[in-house]
Amino acid sequence: MTVPRTAAVAVALLAIATGAVAQADADRFAPCAACHGAAGVSAIADTPSLAGQPSFYAITQLFLFRAGRRTNAVMTAMATPMSDADLRVYSDLIGRLPAAPPIASTPADPARMKRGAALAVQHRCTSCHGDDLAGGKQVPRLAGQREDYLARSLAEFRAGTRVGYTSAMNETLAGLGPAELDDLAHYMAHAPGLGTAGQTAASAPR
Amino acid sequence: MLLSITRAAAVAIALGAGAGLALAEDPPKPEEVPFWAIGKPKGNTLAPVPSFPIATPAAQLPVAKLKVPPGFKVEVWASDVLDARGLRLGDKGTVFVSSLFVAGKIYAVTDKGGKREVKTIAEKLFLPNGIEFYKGALYVATPKDITRYDDIEAKLDSPPAPVMVYDKLPGDVPHGWKYIRVGPDGKLYVPTGAPCNICARDDKHMKIVRMNLDGSGEEIVATGVRNTVGFDFDPKNGDLWYTNNGRDWLSEDLPNDSLNHVGKTGNKDFGYPYCHQGTIADPEYGWGKNCAAEFAQPALLTGPHAGTLGMRFYTGTMFPAKYRGAIFIARHGSWNRTKIFGGDIVVAWPDGKGGISKMEPFLTGFVDNNQYLGRPVDVMQMKDGSLLISDDHAGAIYRVSYSGK
Repeated sequence: MTVPRTAAVAVALLAIATGAVAQADADRFAPCAACHGAAGVSAIADTPSLAGQPSFYAITQLFLFRAGRRTNAVMTAMATPMSDADLRVYSDLIGRLPAAPPIASTPADPARMKRGAALAVQHRCTSCHGDDLAGGKQVPRLAGQREDYLARSLAEFRAGTRVGYTSAMNETLAGLGPAELDDLAHYMAHAPGLGTAGQTAASAPR
Repeated sequence: MLLSITRAAAVAIALGAGAGLALAEDPPKPEEVPFWAIGKPKGNTLAPVPSFPIATPAAQLPVAKLKVPPGFKVEVWASDVLDARGLRLGDKGTVFVSSLFVAGKIYAVTDKGGKREVKTIAEKLFLPNGIEFYKGALYVATPKDITRYDDIEAKLDSPPAPVMVYDKLPGDVPHGWKYIRVGPDGKLYVPTGAPCNICARDDKHMKIVRMNLDGSGEEIVATGVRNTVGFDFDPKNGDLWYTNNGRDWLSEDLPNDSLNHVGKTGNKDFGYPYCHQGTIADPEYGWGKNCAAEFAQPALLTGPHAGTLGMRFYTGTMFPAKYRGAIFIARHGSWNRTKIFGGDIVVAWPDGKGGISKMEPFLTGFVDNNQYLGRPVDVMQMKDGSLLISDDHAGAIYRVSYSGK
């Protein structure tokens, strides 16, 4: 009798604690949620979902925005005043958001899916982003990302207007035309890999 | 409103100097596999991990977990040195620190009454890993060129414009970042690594050269060198020794990184890409090669994918006598293994015949539960005989001293 009662109390306490943490997280996440969605699933055109992104990727992008090495008017304004501690807080929050498919995704077009899947293998997207495109550590999740954001990002990498630490993405996409980039974006947005593989390896080093 | 701003910003991306940092010299080639992924088995998700983009605050550095032999002490010497890589000592005591992908900066760290002050003296540089201090000047090597900042210690607050020394390096990103030294012959030693994990030999890469300090008189010192990011000259006889990073994806446990003895005459062929660790014929490039007979052999194997980087002969008197003439070596730690190997400082003793008689762990504790708490890059002796160790993972510099207690 004692054991179940103790267990029940423990479960209740845990639920309370989890709820409080979740509320604090939600409050902190509010400035992000305004554009990226309450659960990090974006309903706004051209704005990426953050759900399922590894925290290491998130902190790297915040760092690049803050340093002026990646440019977007809103994100530059958000990141510029952030301290190192802020970067950790927000990237940790993002790293805890479970992956989810994008809102109001258009149906997958079988012909484009087939072409996109072949391109992903041919251009070794899976080398870094994983066979399920779930990403991990500093590498972003592509599976389930908004198609318009993916298409725009691929075009920017292809044009050399977006660069990471190195030009690896620019070189990888160098031979691709606009239609191929769109097929890749369509495939990635609808890729089935919504597991949590990316998140298990994502915790930020201390 | 937000929408239009976001969209406009996407179009108006500024390619400033910071973004230029990441651009390679050559135009992108179509359908290129990431250099480190050539030879990678399907389904394997291991990948190189860059430095964490935030330096660990001093109070959170894992110094309590670090271990040194009895009588030694390890402490934090400087924190908030983001992406700390190469270490060089100025004549007036300034510690110069290079960085790589994440920071793209050169720092000068000075001691102000026991507190360290970190200044950025150059930034927005292209993978400026290679530095050397010689006769008042700081030399900075990127994958493309080598420049010189004259009388730098007198001008830390307003560094002079750099003078071009040599601008004919290939400029590749893969293994293009440098480790440079001025040898006892007064010449500048410059390596150029393989522009790949594994690829065919050419005459622009996979070698160490030396040149006069004005960039003239280039000559080959060693060939068949895959990627060296650490070398030093034996204070007893001037012999050149270097560390080498072995190829990836062959297996979890092979091949090893290595420590290699070039000696003075130079122009030894160490076998890449045909052979690895002296004895293993490459599955693609090694057909028909008798590795042990045809190529110079390593003095010491330093472990699989260990990331064997900076090294220094110890010439101080602070440490016990047995360490004089020994080589301290930084092992950055593996990315190309499921279980981390390395991530420590080891010490190796030359046998006087171009070989190594033994190797011991020296500074450990940077790996916890298969995760990095730190990753040592370079090791440097201070005037008092203590050692500084750079850690690019935490953005910190540690000091190891000996008191016998």
